[in-house]
Amino acid sequence: MTSMTRILIRHEAILGILFVVVLFAMASQNDRFLTTANLLNQARLMTEVGLIAIPMTFVIVTGGIDLSVGSILGLCAILLGVFWQNLGLPLPAAIGLSLAAGTAAGFANGLIVTRFRVPPLIATLATLALYRGLAEGISQARSVRGYPDWFAVLGRGDFLGIPTQLWLFALVAVLGIFILRFTTFGRTTYAIGNNEAAAEFSGLPVERTKLVIYTASGFISALAAIVFVSRVSTTRSDMGSGIELEVITAVVLGGTSIFGGRGMVIGTLIGLCLMQILQNGLSLSGVRGDGTTVVIGAVLIVAVLISNLLSRFSSD
Amino acid sequence: MSRRITHALGSLGQEILLVVVILALFAFVGTYNPRFLSENNLTSIFVGNAYIAVAAIGMSLVIISGNIDVSIGALIGVLAVISGLLVTNGYPIWLAWLAPLVLGAAINALVGCLIAYARVPSIIATLAMLSILSGGLITFTGGQWISGLPAGYQLAQFRLLNVPSPVWFMIGMTVLAGFLMRYTTFGRAVYAVGSNPEAARASGISYKATVVKVFAIHGAIGGIAAVLFATQLQVIQSTVPVGLELVIITASVVGGVSILGGVGTVFGSTLAAILFAAIGSSLIFLNVSAYWLRAVQGILILATVLADMARRRRTG
Amino acid sequence: MKKLLTALIGASLLSTPAFAQSAWTGGDDQPTNPLACTGESPAPEPGEYNGGTPTNAPDRNGKDLKVVDIPKLVGVGYFASTASGMQEAAKELGNITVNTDGPTRANIDEQITFVDNYITSGVDGILFAANDPVAIAPVLKKALDAGINVVGYDADAEADARQWFVNQALPNGVAKSMMDQLASEIGEEGSFAIVTSTFTTPNQARWISEMQAYTEKCHPNLKFLETVEAQEDNILSFNQAQTLINKYGDDLKGILGMTSVATPAAAEAVQQNGLCGKVSVVGLALPNAMKPYINSDCIQSTILWNTVDLGYAAVEVMRQVADGTLKPGDKTVKAGRLGELPIVNQSQVLLGQPKVFTKADINDFDF
Repeated sequence: MTSMTRILIRHEAILGILFVVVLFAMASQNDRFLTTANLLNQARLMTEVGLIAIPMTFVIVTGGIDLSVGSILGLCAILLGVFWQNLGLPLPAAIGLSLAAGTAAGFANGLIVTRFRVPPLIATLATLALYRGLAEGISQARSVRGYPDWFAVLGRGDFLGIPTQLWLFALVAVLGIFILRFTTFGRTTYAIGNNEAAAEFSGLPVERTKLVIYTASGFISALAAIVFVSRVSTTRSDMGSGIELEVITAVVLGGTSIFGGRGMVIGTLIGLCLMQILQNGLSLSGVRGDGTTVVIGAVLIVAVLISNLLSRFSSD
Repeated sequence: MSRRITHALGSLGQEILLVVVILALFAFVGTYNPRFLSENNLTSIFVGNAYIAVAAIGMSLVIISGNIDVSIGALIGVLAVISGLLVTNGYPIWLAWLAPLVLGAAINALVGCLIAYARVPSIIATLAMLSILSGGLITFTGGQWISGLPAGYQLAQFRLLNVPSPVWFMIGMTVLAGFLMRYTTFGRAVYAVGSNPEAARASGISYKATVVKVFAIHGAIGGIAAVLFATQLQVIQSTVPVGLELVIITASVVGGVSILGGVGTVFGSTLAAILFAAIGSSLIFLNVSAYWLRAVQGILILATVLADMARRRRTG
Repeated sequence: MKKLLTALIGASLLSTPAFAQSAWTGGDDQPTNPLACTGESPAPEPGEYNGGTPTNAPDRNGKDLKVVDIPKLVGVGYFASTASGMQEAAKELGNITVNTDGPTRANIDEQITFVDNYITSGVDGILFAANDPVAIAPVLKKALDAGINVVGYDADAEADARQWFVNQALPNGVAKSMMDQLASEIGEEGSFAIVTSTFTTPNQARWISEMQAYTEKCHPNLKFLETVEAQEDNILSFNQAQTLINKYGDDLKGILGMTSVATPAAAEAVQQNGLCGKVSVVGLALPNAMKPYINSDCIQSTILWNTVDLGYAAVEVMRQVADGTLKPGDKTVKAGRLGELPIVNQSQVLLGQPKVFTKADINDFDF
């Protein structure tokens, strides 16, 4: 076990402990908090952010960032509605095309980042405006409503007593954990984040890996769009705006270094759950939304401070 | 022929490229609709967005030092409200103008300390500040707007030599910061810290002190932007302007400040802020369908960035 | 990339012929129902109740109620004043507590999460102003299923997802007030532009469509120029109004402000340009925000319902729904100091006609 992995595990461990502490603190505040129904419901609400956070972990591990995810979500939601209602395609086909469009949007991000070597922050800042603009232009700001009942199963239904989209989320999360942890692709991802030039020099497929990661980010954002549309049964061009900050908060709270090279999907999952139970738990104990926002900001700093402090002691 | 022109453009700096693009845009839209070049419209392009240009100067310093600040929009919102509350509660007007500067510097110096001394990555520290400031603002004001501002408070409506004060601030701050960055030890320290912290440390530059100073200056400049923002109209909104931080960051990076740190000037960011304001106005003058406006803005940002990358590659 | 763009734009062009070419930008695609040009339109019949019913609601008659108010967003003057009306009603009634909480951005997803959390926390009643009528419906139905009383105000949800909706003014009434006032200020042949929040905001889109229908019927020579978006941001609204003034010069006679943010900002732009009396600003805005412009004779009027009364009425209705004194089939409802309010559109309580505030009476109001 290298010292590197020890630090990693330590951050996740701290976060895990923090999570348990918060869980019990919240449970003692309100007896409606720690119930299966509430927790499953919270899981349902966090699925869209959670889905996107998985590929975002990969993106940030490579030292990049993807700010356009919320706009891709909005664009794909709109396209789903347009393909289905305005072009009269069957809904499954519309879903397929919308997923394809999201994948293409992510691929375009990847191309701009790899081929044209535009720093990811700027590239996706530009496509954030572009994709949101396309969503608004294509929809002419009209909503599409009236989806069939079977479609609502994905966003509002249950399967084996568990919200449907949670199965999807679990699948993506397990895939994410597996790929980042146990495959060559995952090792290349870390190598890029640690030292991109060195990775390239040692013959690793840097460009291709990054291209795949940004494309995956687009695909999963489209998937989140489908889940979102199914949950709220309408499409609007402003869907998912601002979601990128929530996603990034979850990922960095989970211990992924914004400078790349360090981070785990498991950490992202804990970070995500911590955010969600904080929001829910504080709301149930009567703290208003603006107060909750302040607390989440403070927790973000405290989590990083504790982890910094401990790693300093151990490294000295 | 056209290749020769692009090559000629390519050998010039980002600032010159921006000037050329701005002039070309003015000429094009002015031909289409001469009213675009009327004194009134030019004034409103400069005045209405001067606070963005001013804030982008501070952001450029932060990015050149190798950091980022996503909380600047929230900070501007909070400082504007503080300024308004001071003046409506009977404090002298000069205090209401000065307090945002001092408070901005103090708040951001604290953030700088978190980054420099507690080793919290800047994106995390400022993401947290974004939550804390925007949530805290609502808690504090309860969402009430501030109206009943006394006469003489509207600094942004003053004119000197028939030029509105925001334009003076924009020019003055750009020149001042440009001088600071170019001709002082502090400026050289900021570049050094941004391009190679290790080397900077080795040559006796204090990384920590430089980062704290950069953030304090950035906060003070944010305070000026907040005063311009607050004194433009007769009411002050008590919400944080949505997405303001992205506009400011985009102005900096399109202005040629490398997100990787160490490169760029403040002139570029001011020019980029002017360019954005001009684009927003010109699309209305060109009768671009309002639904497609944002998409066109996105394409223009992307084009500027791609042109810059092509230029850099050619000049190597 | 280019192919993708072409395909997307192509798809959008294919998808748009359903919308009339001449439609005003920013309207919706719902049917319109313009009022008569002159004279009183007959009050519409209430019709059969089409709201929802809470499942197994406990008997709350006369008991203390814990109610949460979830507006579209917090931090704007508009919802701060509805909230103050709610506190007034709560104080008067004495047996109801209202707590206002909501997202800081008008965001459909965050609002749903707020409603969901309050269902779990176990409130007796939910007051809401929906960011999207369809998106919020499932979670409101969940509240009804949990036995919670649900009443909307300002922006409705689908009818069966709530019990009653307190309607500040019917969309066609808003349209008539706005366009009649505009025509009286700029003449029947003037040109005007619109500043709205976003094209996706349901209320504003509804009003713009009704305004177009009413204008075609009653002021056919008024000339619509364009609609610009300005979010809920007063600096952006100011800049957009400024650009419109610069673009059209003397051709622009009027600016219609669709939100309480856009209208004062447009008035400010007119005043700073020294165009008082030359360019009219007609729009929806809180009287307090418009007093500086109206008192200085730069702007003639502002149109709005009494937002404090809107919040007040919402709480009164909530109390009576919980008590069981407001039932399906009723023709009117008693709302404290507001007296009897009529019931319209099957399950809506109508606050009244939008009011035009002028220099003569604006200083009598403080909200």
